[in-house]
Amino acid sequence: MQETTRRTLLKALTSLPIVGGAVALQHVILRYFKPTMAGGLKAMAADPDSAGSSEQEIADVSELTQPWEFKEFIYIRKSVEYSSRKFQGAKIPAFIVRLPEEYIADKKDPKAAYVVVQRICPHLGCTFNFIPNSEELAGGYNYKAPAPFHPYFACPCHLSVYDPTRPQVIAGTVAGKAFDKLPGKVVSGPAPRPPRTMSFDIRGSKIYITDTEGGGVG
Amino acid sequence: MLIKFWSFLQGLLPRRGVVGHVYHGVLNAPVNFFQWFMERWDKMDLFDETHVEKAKTNPFYAIGGMWYWVWMLVIASGVLLMIYYVPDTSQAFVSIERMQANWKWGEIPIGALIRGIHKYGADAFIILATLKVYRMWFTGGYKNGHELSFIVALLLLIIGMYSGLTGYLLIWNQRALWATKVMATFPGYLDQNPSWIPGGDFINWTNQGKTTAQILLGGTSIGPATVTRFYAFHFMLSFLVMIFFELRVYHRGFKRMNISRWTKFILFMMLAGMAVLIPAAQGSPANPEVTPNPILSDWYFLAMYHMLKLQDPYLATVLTVGVPALVLLSLFMDRRPETGFKERAIANWIGIGGLIYFIVFSFLIINSIADLHRDAPLWYYSMGLFLLIGYFQDWGYVMKRDGKQWWETFHVFFVAFLLVSMSANTLFHYFGDIREWNVAAAAELPKVLAAHPGFTQDQALDFLEKTKPTLNLWLTPAATLAKGMPKGMELWKLHVALWLIIPAVGTVVGLFRWGAKRDALLDAAAAKAKAKTAGA
Repeated sequence: MQETTRRTLLKALTSLPIVGGAVALQHVILRYFKPTMAGGLKAMAADPDSAGSSEQEIADVSELTQPWEFKEFIYIRKSVEYSSRKFQGAKIPAFIVRLPEEYIADKKDPKAAYVVVQRICPHLGCTFNFIPNSEELAGGYNYKAPAPFHPYFACPCHLSVYDPTRPQVIAGTVAGKAFDKLPGKVVSGPAPRPPRTMSFDIRGSKIYITDTEGGGVG
Repeated sequence: MLIKFWSFLQGLLPRRGVVGHVYHGVLNAPVNFFQWFMERWDKMDLFDETHVEKAKTNPFYAIGGMWYWVWMLVIASGVLLMIYYVPDTSQAFVSIERMQANWKWGEIPIGALIRGIHKYGADAFIILATLKVYRMWFTGGYKNGHELSFIVALLLLIIGMYSGLTGYLLIWNQRALWATKVMATFPGYLDQNPSWIPGGDFINWTNQGKTTAQILLGGTSIGPATVTRFYAFHFMLSFLVMIFFELRVYHRGFKRMNISRWTKFILFMMLAGMAVLIPAAQGSPANPEVTPNPILSDWYFLAMYHMLKLQDPYLATVLTVGVPALVLLSLFMDRRPETGFKERAIANWIGIGGLIYFIVFSFLIINSIADLHRDAPLWYYSMGLFLLIGYFQDWGYVMKRDGKQWWETFHVFFVAFLLVSMSANTLFHYFGDIREWNVAAAAELPKVLAAHPGFTQDQALDFLEKTKPTLNLWLTPAATLAKGMPKGMELWKLHVALWLIIPAVGTVVGLFRWGAKRDALLDAAAAKAKAKTAGA
């Protein structure tokens, strides 16, 4: 018994460097799969969302004058691509919604009348919809909204529902910026947070998107 | 030298009691694991190639052979499809449409037939892999040194499902795009471990989830890089397994497939017939701007998709990774040698329960039936019931087998843990809504319910939350709660405490019983050896 145990021990011990070598080799192979070869090792530290996207005009103020008028638009976010092209544009679908007077928190601020959010659901990345009627919301999205009814954002994949009129406090920072409130409180479903944000600006009669929050699969 | 040091370590603590057994267990772990693994490696069975004789009389043992044959057909038809398929987002859908256009002698002769064999072959692959896993589960096929066969079968099933996912993105249709999005967003939650988990913040810092998503997608969004990557993975995984199996068959002289030529022919004709009668569907081209409602994935992901609706996404991610791990763990919890169907009630009920959840969840999501506020605890509750029924059947069996009294074989901690889990979960779900403990809101609630007769309590709270922001309902601070907490709250907390205490005490008690049992075994062996030498 002792002899066999010894032999097995030696066998097991010799297998250790082999296992170690395999692990080291595996690291190299896995590294090959990681798409980060643009600028050599330095680029490994670069966040793909750090490419810096340009401002894009998305709407005219005159398009959104009535309460609950909304517009779908696509914002092209640049992200670092680890190929000869260096950058790629990811299409981010988004909504801009005009709030009715009673929900505008700060009446003097022209930006407070709009809710601008990325349509990529923060739960698992589907594109959510603007639901203007209560039967559809109750039947298709399992949320019976309290009266008086107003439109909601709702995601068809896992039935998360967001209320555009209410902000939600989330802990910590989003992309390095501290937010006290994000528009679109989660009122139903499994979503862990409100929709991803977009910063925008109104200049003259045009609305521009200046920046977007990273994360989310475009 | 090394041996001497090892002997010294061996002699450091006697092999007695819990501490001694744990010490020697850890010390001998590399040697024991090596021996354990090599034994299983020799006995490993991938496609029932070791059950050639059994397969002649019992069709359940021919599943492996059929599985490998279908695998071969899928690889062969896949290689043929590669000739016309263009792995690029702008051309993928069109290239398949062209292939599918006319199954007879159209633009690409028998293109639809080959694609149909590939598609239905992949479905058959998943069905046969599941059947094999289930056969091994219900017949205790993983016992007596066949653990590795079961682990490999389960891994192959997972590889098959992943190949299915990578495969249907190649079509570049709506269903594939959205399923891939969900799949690629998933790993992100691995970076969101709560801080109270030991090492949680460290794991978050390493960005494993984000890196995984990038490796899967070849970037941060689904684009041309994703398609080439998926194309490579799709082909690579099947091919690597095939090479491994062929080498093993060659070295060990196994019969490759334990089925007859006729079975092979019939299987092939079934797939070809399906391909002709029901041409493989293609759907509509991928469009990242429109999410179809209801959105469905391939049939084998449907049940999991429904599960995602009912749970917090972090928990759901942990569960998705954890369920296969739990199945593997359960192999090592089931140490009894019995393989008969009536002797393994718990395992049977887990298997039947899993099947029931799979079928019911698939049905629910196809018909878009879900009430997020009502359903979740029902499912947790029924899971506990399956386990309890199984446990009590098993308890009766063991009592009879060993001729013992009921209390001698009763696992009080296990049963208590199950009962408390069931009730704690339900209490948390129905009474854990923190808004209900807001004292100021409790005074307002009856008024709202009186004014709006149709409201449920949940809706009334939502209404209050909106109309009376001063109640601060959606972020009730601890100060509001402290004014007066109802008794139900304490009950709920007591349950959670019990939920942690019971398994902790159970583990400690179990460890001591385990130590005593090992001691008794060693003593018996020593007594036997002594008697032998005395006899000689």
